[in-house]
Amino acid sequence: MILALECSSTISRGRLARTAGALLALLLASTALAGAASASETGQPAWEPRVVERLVKLPGTHLKRAIDNDFAGSQLGGALVDTEGQIGGKLKSMAELQKAVERAEGEVRTELRHQFLAEKKDYIKLVGARLDLKRRQLKTSQRLYDALLKRMDQTGAGATPEQISVAAKQEEARRRFEKSLAEVDTRLFAADAARETKYGREHAKNMAAVEQLVQAIRQHPMSAGPELDGQPVSKQDYVRSLQAQTDADLALVDQEELILGHMAKLVALDAMALSEEIDAPESVADPDNRPGDVTRAVGLFITR
Amino acid sequence: MNNKTFAILALALALVPGFDAAAGSLENLERERAILVETMLAPDMPAQQRAEKIAQSRTRLVDLERMVLRDGSLAGKATPVVRSAFENYDLTFLVHAATEKNLAMADHWLEQIGLTTNALMSARVGRR
Repeated sequence: MILALECSSTISRGRLARTAGALLALLLASTALAGAASASETGQPAWEPRVVERLVKLPGTHLKRAIDNDFAGSQLGGALVDTEGQIGGKLKSMAELQKAVERAEGEVRTELRHQFLAEKKDYIKLVGARLDLKRRQLKTSQRLYDALLKRMDQTGAGATPEQISVAAKQEEARRRFEKSLAEVDTRLFAADAARETKYGREHAKNMAAVEQLVQAIRQHPMSAGPELDGQPVSKQDYVRSLQAQTDADLALVDQEELILGHMAKLVALDAMALSEEIDAPESVADPDNRPGDVTRAVGLFITR
Repeated sequence: MNNKTFAILALALALVPGFDAAAGSLENLERERAILVETMLAPDMPAQQRAEKIAQSRTRLVDLERMVLRDGSLAGKATPVVRSAFENYDLTFLVHAATEKNLAMADHWLEQIGLTTNALMSARVGRR
């Protein structure tokens, strides 16, 4: 019976050792191929925003919101949210397993450590997938902002130096006209030399109404222009600041991938350590009572 | 050009996509001002007729100049025509600028292009 129990214990340790070895091999393989696997996958969730006229004409603050809403409604946005949800769940289960490992002993502890390693591997895989999705989102955003800037240059949605100069001259002309309007009207119409036509009067009335409405639109809080650090900026400068932000986010993604690489290495080392622990017992258990020790049989030979 | 050819040409122009005869407020102003200048400089026109035409032009120009000044579609438009128009208020908005300075339109226009009485009086023929 004792022999049977020893045999079954040996078999279960052997199975565990083989499983730990397989886990280690799988972990190393998956870490090495992670980049290639994600690059060769097809049918991944997509986000394909297009630069349409309406997007170019949107005020600066609404532009960012429109782009974010479009991403949130896309397949890529949905996949990113799902992955982040799975990561949250995985973190919770890993925390619980860690506490259980600290409380457990013997075979149960070994089994729990094995499960903990498997959970860590899944976590790394999930975070890798999330970083891949995030990178794709940021690259798409970069292309979108480039296309937006190109379109703005074509349609003149942003203010070029020539446009600023013309706008200043127009404003100056308008101010001069408004300043001299009353006097000009008196001189023009008082002597009956010229009469304002009916069309002129109606046109002036309509234009006054249009100007009032335009003024109300300009002063509306929802049509406030984009700002950077409290300073109003042109739409082109605002889009360039979004580009810079996207570049910074991409650099952070690179950093997170580096951290993930280190985590994967640590998990691989833990798996190696666990594998060695499981393999080691037969060779080091009770060095003074090994069955293969020939000195144990000396007594049998020296007595007759 | 006979009538048939003229009719075919007119029909062809009407059918060409994108053919648009509508002009903006600035183009209308430029056209009316060109007619005024042509009237002012016409050598064979009797003085009475010239005065009447100038008065009619002035009435139209007053409206057109105000339309251009209030035209929001020109705001920030950096085309050569718009840029040139707003770079020189005195030449573009002839009626308003002349009335501001209390000058006749012809005098104001001639002054703007450099043809003043002093300049003409001091002109002489000679080699450069």
